[in-house]
Amino acid sequence: MKKTNTYINQKWLAALLMIFAMPFAVSAQEAEPSALNNPEVLLTVVLGLVLIVAILVLIVALYMVRVIKLIMSEEKKAKATSKAKTEGLTVEEVLAKDKKESWWKSVNQKLTDAVPVEKEETVMLDHNYDGIKELDNHLPPWWTGLFYFTIAWGVIYLLVYHVFGLLPLSEEEYQIQMAKAEAQKEEMMQLAENSIDEYTVEFTDNVASLESGKNIYLNNCAVCHGREGQGGIGPNMTDKYWIHGGSIQDVFKTIKYGVPQKGMISWQKSLTPPQMRDVSSFILTLQGTNPANQKAPEGELYEPEEGPDSTEGTETGEQEPVEETVEAESDTVELALN
Amino acid sequence: MQLEKFYYDNKIVKYFSIATVVWGLVGMLVGLIAATQLFWPELNGGVPFLTFGRIRPVHTNAVIFAFVGNMIFAGVYYSLPRLLKTSIFSNLLSWIHFWGWQLIIVAAAITLPLGFTTAKEYAELEWPIDIAITIIWVVFGINMIGTILQRRERHMYVAIWFYIASFITVAVLHVVNSFELPISFMKSYSWYAGVQDALVQWWYGHNAVAFFLTTPFLGLMYYFLPKAANRPVYSYKLSIIHFWSLIFIYIWAGPHHLLYTALPDWAQSLGTVFSIMLIAPSWGGMLNGLLTLRGAWDKVRETPMLKFMVVAVTAYGMSTFEGPMLSLKNFNAFGHYTDYIIGHVHIGGLGWNGFLTFGILYWMIPKMWRTNLYSQKLANFHFWIGTLGIIFYALPMYASFFVQSLMWNQFNEFGILEYQNFLQTVTQVVPMYMLRAFGGLLYLTGAGVMTYNLIKTAAQGSFLAKEEAEAPALEKKKITGGYWHSVLERKPIVFTVLSLVAILIGGIIEMVPTFLIKSNVPTISSVQPYTPLELHGRDIYIREGCFYCHSQMIRPFRAETERYGEYSKAGEFVYDHPFLWGSKRTGPDLHRIGGKYTDDWHYFHMYNPNQFVEGSIMPEYPWLLENTIDKSLTPKMISAMQTLGVPYEEGYAEKANGELDAQAAKIVANLAEKDIETSGDMEIVALIAYLQRLGTDIKVKDDVAENQ
Repeated sequence: MKKTNTYINQKWLAALLMIFAMPFAVSAQEAEPSALNNPEVLLTVVLGLVLIVAILVLIVALYMVRVIKLIMSEEKKAKATSKAKTEGLTVEEVLAKDKKESWWKSVNQKLTDAVPVEKEETVMLDHNYDGIKELDNHLPPWWTGLFYFTIAWGVIYLLVYHVFGLLPLSEEEYQIQMAKAEAQKEEMMQLAENSIDEYTVEFTDNVASLESGKNIYLNNCAVCHGREGQGGIGPNMTDKYWIHGGSIQDVFKTIKYGVPQKGMISWQKSLTPPQMRDVSSFILTLQGTNPANQKAPEGELYEPEEGPDSTEGTETGEQEPVEETVEAESDTVELALN
Repeated sequence: MQLEKFYYDNKIVKYFSIATVVWGLVGMLVGLIAATQLFWPELNGGVPFLTFGRIRPVHTNAVIFAFVGNMIFAGVYYSLPRLLKTSIFSNLLSWIHFWGWQLIIVAAAITLPLGFTTAKEYAELEWPIDIAITIIWVVFGINMIGTILQRRERHMYVAIWFYIASFITVAVLHVVNSFELPISFMKSYSWYAGVQDALVQWWYGHNAVAFFLTTPFLGLMYYFLPKAANRPVYSYKLSIIHFWSLIFIYIWAGPHHLLYTALPDWAQSLGTVFSIMLIAPSWGGMLNGLLTLRGAWDKVRETPMLKFMVVAVTAYGMSTFEGPMLSLKNFNAFGHYTDYIIGHVHIGGLGWNGFLTFGILYWMIPKMWRTNLYSQKLANFHFWIGTLGIIFYALPMYASFFVQSLMWNQFNEFGILEYQNFLQTVTQVVPMYMLRAFGGLLYLTGAGVMTYNLIKTAAQGSFLAKEEAEAPALEKKKITGGYWHSVLERKPIVFTVLSLVAILIGGIIEMVPTFLIKSNVPTISSVQPYTPLELHGRDIYIREGCFYCHSQMIRPFRAETERYGEYSKAGEFVYDHPFLWGSKRTGPDLHRIGGKYTDDWHYFHMYNPNQFVEGSIMPEYPWLLENTIDKSLTPKMISAMQTLGVPYEEGYAEKANGELDAQAAKIVANLAEKDIETSGDMEIVALIAYLQRLGTDIKVKDDVAENQ
């Protein structure tokens, strides 16, 4: 009976292990490629997994110890029974004789400083409340130690933050954090690729860029412009009519600075210049895709002097293959969004 | 010595026990529904009364005040007379207490789904119910103190110390936190505003956990655990020290709910250090419980009720460790607003309160019905499925906390947020929400099995309504000397007064300076009172319980200011009666939502959030587009605000509706531009006005500065 119970419990543990490891697997899979390449994300994901596995291993180990103990005590009992027969003692007496102070017991004893159960009469108070009696054991030394430690910690904490000012309070902490981030940002912006602006930006048909652009679009723009660019709160992106110009430079500029009075927000603080180029380029690939539920055209007709794909051919003819590869490549991205 | 005959009234215990079970099942079921709505919002069936924002308070109030509350009363009415060898002071008061409390619960269950709420977590009930609670609580207090005064036992046992401290503190907490100005039947505004309101609320919120969910249950543990195990309590010394340190320190810890918010730093630090100091006193209770079982562990293995108690006490130890950890600034920075808190409170709720309740019921019901438990096997089943339920509940919550907070704080190499869209971090944890609901289902199943088991037990036994007992009367003689604490134990009034002093100190030291010293809430000149239309919108925001999922408090972290905008300042909330900072971000923070989206975006988004934000788990609010606001209330709202110190010009109440119409007309015109037809008195218009106003007061100044 006991054995089957153990078996069942182990099965449960295995099932639990699978379930709780799952979210980390999912998050690792769904994170964009750039995030996975980011050692910090990878590290945290791995650390998380390790932590969970470690906890589960600990639980399993503790459980196994219990099982072993159980088996051993059964064996001991069997031995004691045979010994009891030969020596003419009762089983309990033999067991008591064999019982040595285990390491755990002695540590426990030191930690709690408890009067042993057998001698508890010596600390029994004359209290009797509806049959409840009270012992007067010492305070467990580790507990008293913990209490003193936390009080000392509290005093030091207050001194450090409010008397000596050794550590920054929240506002100062924020300033430090921001200054550090600003420095890091500037360093990145120094790189040539990151200095793209509305004058130098060029359309890109690089598949990775367009894919990144699509991802940015779905996460940030689709809310107002529709998931297929069909428009909604914001204007339609798939027709040839543009309110603020349809060249790559114009689109980039609209994204960068926004049109606050019309509800289009500025993105320069949330997207990097290459990201803004990617999403601008992606938006231009939506031209002529003709999705369902299109919003009526707004703004002025814009005919590109030079197609977004910078080749001569007809607009759709050249564009569609690019579109398709993007679709195919970004299936995982789509999945993440749903 | 002459023995006096008296009896213990089991009938009142029976009634409170039944109420415990019934409300427990209801509360857990509502919790399960709310949990399911987090991954399946359509479950509300498009009915306003069943949306998450309205049933979440039903769940919390039901499990705290109905389930746990009735258990406290059942346990007190059972143990108190027995510990004091006397009858209950007044049977009439007992029954007023019982029926009064149930009526309050019914009132809560009706008014909360209807949207009557003060917006203060765990104190949502509106002012008429608040008054009823006060009266019934006093009835309970009189009955308890009266019983103590007519005792035949000279000294009070440790369980009674906890009962006394609970009674007195809950009374203080409830009265102070419920200061509100009624403007109509079932609508009021908090007396306090912004930072002060937040401080009072979380002083209350934290100590409601302390003195409603913890200390009364420690009292119950001190009675039922040694009784069920038939072992002496481990240490009287430990009882004394952990009792006084617990009640004294607990009351200071409230501000740890407000770390990194606009609350002054010194108050935050007090919250942190007292939370850390609270570990040992809390664990003192756990130790005394667990060590009482020394020499009885073989019994624990065999008796389900003891198993329940062991897990309960262990869960208590765990959640009183998690709490202090969350009070550490660096941990709080990541843990606050996440599911860590949900996991933590459920370790406490499901583990400590739930399991101790189950253990007590399994012990007490057979006693009162003079029989054995119907089925040990079913009780064991309940134990395992309940434990599994807790695990399935808590672990996904920790996983969700871990994943989501990492995502919120992830920057890419350009120093830009990796996961800009808040929804990306939500979809990631939706599977965790599913697992959590499964855990809840297991737990509820266990409670159902218990109900069956208890009914069967009662059916096979015969109930003893009046249990006869006898004891000698207390001799009227002066006893002097003895251990100092044992002196206190025979002076209940002195004891009560001392506990009152102990619990007042922390609250006074934290609150008085926050209220009186101006520098604690620096004023911002550009912050103006809400317009009448915005006030109406704010009331709708409160009614729909938006603050349960959306905070309005951006903390000074790079990850938050990048995502939401400038961090929130104390001075921005001076006209917020009540404050709406929230405590959980199931959705994004809304403090700087004003001006971020267009009016028509909000209009459509409220109608169907999924239309623009695919995968959003926010419920739909189509009724906002059809219901109208009650403009006849406007003058009352304005004059109430004036009474509370909001500086509207004199006579503004009369012309408020005029201004309301003018502002509404602008929004209606904005919407008309996008082919949306609506009228100015629609609720959606008021809500849009409020949302567009949020957090913009300090932006006005910035814009001016930029334009110069």
